[in-house]
Amino acid sequence: MMAKLKTFLASTNGRVFGAFVIAALLHLIGTLAIPGYSSPFAIRAMLVIAALLAVASIGQTLVVILGGIDLSIPFVIGFANVVAAQLYGDGWNFVLVCLLVSVMAALIGAFNGYVSRKLDIHPLIVTLGAGMVVQGCVLLWTKGFPSGSAPSAVSAFVSIGGSAGPLPVPWLVPSVVVLAALIILMMARSPYGRRLYALGSNPGAAPLALIDPVRMWVITFALSAFFAAVAGVLLLGFTGSAYGDVGQPYLFQTIAAVVVGGAALVGGRGSYLGTIAGVLVLTEINTLLIGLGFQPAMVQAALGLIIILLVSLYGRERHVSATI
Amino acid sequence: MSTDGYSSRSAALWRSMGFAALLLVVLLAVNLVLNPARFHPAAWGALIGLAAPLIGAALASAPVILGGRGGIDISVGPTMGFVNAIVIQALFLKAGMSSPFVLIPAALLTGAAIGAINGFLTTIVRIQPIVATLGTYLVLTGVTLTILPAPIGPAPAWLKSMSGPLSILPLAAIFLAWWGIRRLPYYDQLMAIGSDDRAAYTAGVPVTEVRFIAYVITGTFAGVAGLMLTALIGSADPNIGATYTLIAVAAVALGGVSLAGGRGGLLGAAIGAIDIFLLQSVLTSFNVSTYVLQIAYGAILVAAVILTAVQERAAKRERA
Amino acid sequence: MPDDALTLDVRNLSLRKGASAFSQAIRPGEIVGLAGLDGHGQERFLEVLSGLKEPVAGDVVLDRAGRRTTVTSFRTAVANGIAYLPRDRRATGIFPTQSVLDNFAISTVERDARFGLINTQSRRQRYDVYRQRLSIVAPRPDAAITTLSGGNQQKVLLARALALEPGVLLLNDPTRGVDVATRHVLYDVFRDLARDGMALVILSSEIEEILLLCGRVLVFRDDEIAAEMTGEAMTTESVIAAMFGRAA
Repeated sequence: MMAKLKTFLASTNGRVFGAFVIAALLHLIGTLAIPGYSSPFAIRAMLVIAALLAVASIGQTLVVILGGIDLSIPFVIGFANVVAAQLYGDGWNFVLVCLLVSVMAALIGAFNGYVSRKLDIHPLIVTLGAGMVVQGCVLLWTKGFPSGSAPSAVSAFVSIGGSAGPLPVPWLVPSVVVLAALIILMMARSPYGRRLYALGSNPGAAPLALIDPVRMWVITFALSAFFAAVAGVLLLGFTGSAYGDVGQPYLFQTIAAVVVGGAALVGGRGSYLGTIAGVLVLTEINTLLIGLGFQPAMVQAALGLIIILLVSLYGRERHVSATI
Repeated sequence: MSTDGYSSRSAALWRSMGFAALLLVVLLAVNLVLNPARFHPAAWGALIGLAAPLIGAALASAPVILGGRGGIDISVGPTMGFVNAIVIQALFLKAGMSSPFVLIPAALLTGAAIGAINGFLTTIVRIQPIVATLGTYLVLTGVTLTILPAPIGPAPAWLKSMSGPLSILPLAAIFLAWWGIRRLPYYDQLMAIGSDDRAAYTAGVPVTEVRFIAYVITGTFAGVAGLMLTALIGSADPNIGATYTLIAVAAVALGGVSLAGGRGGLLGAAIGAIDIFLLQSVLTSFNVSTYVLQIAYGAILVAAVILTAVQERAAKRERA
Repeated sequence: MPDDALTLDVRNLSLRKGASAFSQAIRPGEIVGLAGLDGHGQERFLEVLSGLKEPVAGDVVLDRAGRRTTVTSFRTAVANGIAYLPRDRRATGIFPTQSVLDNFAISTVERDARFGLINTQSRRQRYDVYRQRLSIVAPRPDAAITTLSGGNQQKVLLARALALEPGVLLLNDPTRGVDVATRHVLYDVFRDLARDGMALVILSSEIEEILLLCGRVLVFRDDEIAAEMTGEAMTTESVIAAMFGRAA
């Protein structure tokens, strides 16, 4: 029985299931320990925060399955956040603004993917460097003081107090649920998705299976930057005004969500459903600790401990002797 | 060693960090022209002091990266910050201990202990290094902020005096320690694991132990870097340490250390760090805004790794 | 022979600077063996045929009923009817985290796509054809490929290559690390394929295997073809003699 449970938890599905169970347990603890933890408003707030993190983590999930890592996500979030606000403030059509921001973000991502794969440079360095350039450009353009705001439609879309028809949550939440379903479907059932897993699983075998690694890296990093930009625009609606560093917390949170959700950073393993579970775990931990009166610094420390604890429960790698 | 082996070895050395060395010369020349006063030989001592924490962070980051299989320690920066806080806040200001014979061992032991924790998590619990050290990164920054909510000073006088020319001493100590390690069979085992851990394991190298020790070395060096940081700022600041991590990794990559492991060395890492320092210096002397500084910084980092990669590919093609 | 049978035409090919060039034609229905001591050019020859490596001089041309295409890359080779089975199953063959089905279908993944999504039924049907033909023993096709024995993993890789419906099949030591029973299954499959008009080129480190399967053998030495033998002239002694550069 124990052995069976152990093999289940070691499987990808088991990891995802485990992460969901942990999120539920955390919620139960919160409800018992903190009055109002499960109040409609608190749950709405958690759902909105989780939905934003879920969007920002789409790219990291894809990139990690590919065997890479994307440190440019927080910078692209900030870029989209500031540029969208600024241009909209200058009187641009908001649809046009979103289109422009998406294309520019995708180009940044495509650059990251192309350089990393084509020249075989660790994406850690490339995405960090590119991210710094992007952030610098934004700061230079706005002279450090971004202005402008989001159209009220975007604010209503993400507002914690908003409602989606009969649902007591803003449209963001059901939209992210649909988006998540599409992403999961794409990863499981599209040729791109199968190639993504295959390439991450064994880069040496991929070209012989007619997978073009450079093309895959370009597409995947472009997607990552695109969804980071989406998160940046949504955050603009959430906070109300532009802020270049708005993405910074997402640097480690996206990686943590992906890893808690059972993906292996060496590639080939993981799922977006797992990432969603990871996002819920992180959101619950954050809310719980703040609710228990921890200072932000201690929340961060506890978050670190919990990541280590969770990953040591079900995210362990094989010993080198088991890889021969 | 035969002269033949030596020349091929120096050729390999040149290939791995030739670009960083070239950049060093160019940047130094540019700095000398732009800013003769600041770069006057008499001022070199102060400059080394300014660069020391970054060099130290890069040196500390290198051993685990050399060990391969995704080995990386992103907690190097927070470790420096934590050592900074412990030394000043806990030991000097609260407990009143100011002797170097207490503070230096305390810093080294703190670093080594954090390294041991990282090593335990990555080699025995077998969590992916970037995740495990991300965990310690978050814990350390959180704990540092809790014991030291705001910057506080001062540092003991002897430690502050280490900020100038004397900062060469801790750097020399790291290099001496590494020089010693290179003479041990341990070094060969580390490099063997870094280039192919399966082959090394099959050949009887104790992979787990060797990697564990690499984390302890990294932690200890990070402790030294934390002392250098303390000397430079002459106080305790909870927010500075963490900023060193990613720049240090960038410096290591710039210095020709392969992030895949098994290739490069501490000299390259140091040169990479000095490059970044000199670059900051050039850009500052142009009196540009910090924004331009950041753009140039990122652009040159990317350009440098691209050029290094292109050069390596060309060299490989020549050999083929 | 079907009308669209593929002939592999090798013209004035040189594998190394200074190595003498040679021409060869590999015709439909033929099984050609490649032999030689390790590193004497036979593997490079196979990789040149598949477009993975460029020759020093000369070219490889695919002739399909008079329509001729020069092989310039692995992609053009595959697009024009070549399939290649790599030597090192672990390094360049299987995708270890993926299922048997994924491993089978990856090279031809677009064929099951309907409106951009993979039709699992169509994929399963394609797989079943090869599962029967190669008698793959895989209790659950959605289980990870690493749960199969080495021989069955090799069969899945062969199925992946055959799914491309190639005219020429290039096999790089296909029975390396495969048990005896599976070997004989593979031999039968290879003979059937040749009978249906496919051209097969088999690099093997075992001479017995070549003698058993091939109608013709090219023995490589110093990146050149040292000997070409057919029929009665093919014996263990003569092949070994050619490998070592001695007169038989």
